[in-house]
Amino acid sequence: MSRDKSRILDWFSRRLNLTEIFSLLTSYGLFYAELDTRKHLREALDEALERPVVSYGRWPRVLGLIVVVLIALEILTGALLGLYFLPTPQTAHASLGTILRDVNFGWFVHQIHFWGAQLLIAVLIVRILRFFIQGVYRPPRELVWVFAALLLLVCFHLDLTGRALPLTETAYWSSVRALEVVKAVPVYGAFMIFLTGGGELFVTDLTLLRFYVLHVALFPALAVTLIYLHFSTIRRIGLTEGAGDKKRVGRAALRNHLVNLAIILTILFAFLVTLAVLTPLPFQREADPYATVPGVGPPWYLLAPFGFLELTSGVLPQWLAGLVLFLAFSAFLVLPFLDRFRVDTRRRWVVPAIAIAVVVAWVVLTIYGARVA
Amino acid sequence: MMTRNQAWYVVLLVALLMTVPEGVVAAEQCGVCHPESRVAFAESIHALEQVTCTSCHGGDAATQDVERAHRGSFRSLRDRLATPAICAACHSDLKQMSAYNLPVDQYAVYQTSQHGMAVAGGDPRAAVCIDCHGSHEIHAADDPRSSVAARNLPGTCAVCHSDEELMGHYGLDSGVVADYEAGIHGQSLLVAGNLAAPNCTSCHGVHGATPPGVGDIDKVCGACHVQTRRAFLDGAHYQGMTEAGIPECESCHSNHAIQRRDVDSIDTLCADCHGDGSDQVLLGNKIHTLIEAAAAEVDKAENLALEGQRAALDVEDHLGRIEEARTYLTEALPLAHAVSLEPVEQVTRRARSIGEEVQHEIYAKLDRTEAHIGLVVFWFYVFMTLVILFMLKRRMSSGGEVT
Repeated sequence: MSRDKSRILDWFSRRLNLTEIFSLLTSYGLFYAELDTRKHLREALDEALERPVVSYGRWPRVLGLIVVVLIALEILTGALLGLYFLPTPQTAHASLGTILRDVNFGWFVHQIHFWGAQLLIAVLIVRILRFFIQGVYRPPRELVWVFAALLLLVCFHLDLTGRALPLTETAYWSSVRALEVVKAVPVYGAFMIFLTGGGELFVTDLTLLRFYVLHVALFPALAVTLIYLHFSTIRRIGLTEGAGDKKRVGRAALRNHLVNLAIILTILFAFLVTLAVLTPLPFQREADPYATVPGVGPPWYLLAPFGFLELTSGVLPQWLAGLVLFLAFSAFLVLPFLDRFRVDTRRRWVVPAIAIAVVVAWVVLTIYGARVA
Repeated sequence: MMTRNQAWYVVLLVALLMTVPEGVVAAEQCGVCHPESRVAFAESIHALEQVTCTSCHGGDAATQDVERAHRGSFRSLRDRLATPAICAACHSDLKQMSAYNLPVDQYAVYQTSQHGMAVAGGDPRAAVCIDCHGSHEIHAADDPRSSVAARNLPGTCAVCHSDEELMGHYGLDSGVVADYEAGIHGQSLLVAGNLAAPNCTSCHGVHGATPPGVGDIDKVCGACHVQTRRAFLDGAHYQGMTEAGIPECESCHSNHAIQRRDVDSIDTLCADCHGDGSDQVLLGNKIHTLIEAAAAEVDKAENLALEGQRAALDVEDHLGRIEEARTYLTEALPLAHAVSLEPVEQVTRRARSIGEEVQHEIYAKLDRTEAHIGLVVFWFYVFMTLVILFMLKRRMSSGGEVT
């Protein structure tokens, strides 16, 4: 049996560089060791499995891997949902009803898709906070930060376009609120409203189709690309200070590490399934564009900007409030290039202080946004 | 030299001038001295129908000479009591009115009304046509500008009927319009804007305005509240109240300040006449309980159906049946006017059984026990997997394969 297997492997090895293909996977954080692409796959793997794992890749630093797994899960469940979902204003809601009611395990796939997305965004936020606290944005890791921040923003867009698709009451009005936030941001807002076919009413006939295309093609491609770039920079320079210069702390082998990963992924999957079964996302009535549903705010991660716009409406002109948002998001993206106090030990506290203020403001505005919504 | 185009314009202009009717230019000189009346009249329905000043006032409208204008058939119409006959000259003429599909008996009916009889008796304060309809500015009754349009009518009646001095003269209550405005009918018409809600004339008659007497009240109310009246006539109250000379509907619901009596008021309302602890109060309590209990079941069923909808169940059929149950519930209160348990029980039983049936069916559909058992089994496997993985991990580290 195992001889057959190795025969098949050899057959392919003579015709394909399997090691090279496999090394592509390592770019997605699944396999932190480098592979010698000139060697036979089995040989390279045996070698890699016995090698110690870099400290930044070891338990419990597995958020990046969870991100990759969740995105893979989203792509898989999304593809399954796509087999039944009909993205037109007339059929969207009814076809989700079919998925939830009539398709075997349709409700389960839908719930996993939804809860997986919420978990993904939560993990990305926790991860970016971790990067900040540990200073994983200082040279030479500027790009690690930029790609991670971009990935977070792309995932916001993925969730935003996704939750509007079924055109349920809350989905529709939640999207309208979200687009109000988006529209307030100069340049970017105008571009997004144009891209999603939204006019003054934000959601038009074209919007659903545009959201669908963005949700199933453009944004997933962007996310996968960003993950590749992000992990490439990590593989090049490492994550934490000190560990970057190939200095390996601890002597855990990759083999042990893989068992740890299996444990984590089992728990993660069990957690998701439990969420999906015990707290399913309710299937709301179809939206009526002419009847505003009160008390529907934007998605939870947009409550802070929404709260900010509500708070400043009447005080600041909308373009100015939008500009503040634009600058805040830009600063978040290019943070590595703004932190110039690093060298000056006496003023080292400046950036952390600002960041803590931003986080506190974000939390307060989120609470405020939830209350006014 | 004119071009061909310009020539055509001239021909067109001449043709246009020829189509202007002569009368517009020549007749109706009254407005020269009476501009206010003329302006008010121009807006009225009469102006639209080729009624002119002279139709009512006589005289000569074609002259600007004061003397010549106001002689011959001219009448000033300052004598209010004379006006009904003048209006009737056209409005009682079937030939003229049939084209508008208007009734021609208003004058005859008016003469039977309290207003008409007072006028016949020479009372100069009694209402004549122009008091309600206006004089020059008359609009069609369904025109919102009309003083007798549904929502303006209570105010028009109030001009006289809220006048304490005038009403005192006839020994009438001057608070009736204020009462009406506070009651459910007035609120519905004036506040909620429901044009189908009754105004003064709905109960008192239009031109034949007369208050309905005891024994007639149930007929007046029954014109709209058909089922309620039918039940009332079947019940013990009708006979008893008629014999005792107690006004029927009014006794519980008041007359002008009409009160809605909801289910909860049944308890106290019965005791007002029958006394606490009487059999009748007990009956009232039973009716109350029947309706309340059925309504509670239907509410519960509806909440469950909506919950089912959020869980992506197909509940269209159930919602339709709940609608049916609500119809039965709506019937229960009118039927309660028969002051008997049986008719109320019939409809509440139906509403209740539909509510219970729907609840059962949705409970069965909402049942997530299978999913929860599945979750427990799933966690068992998760747990086993974890145990195996931890054992594997332990063996690997104790085996010391890697240092």
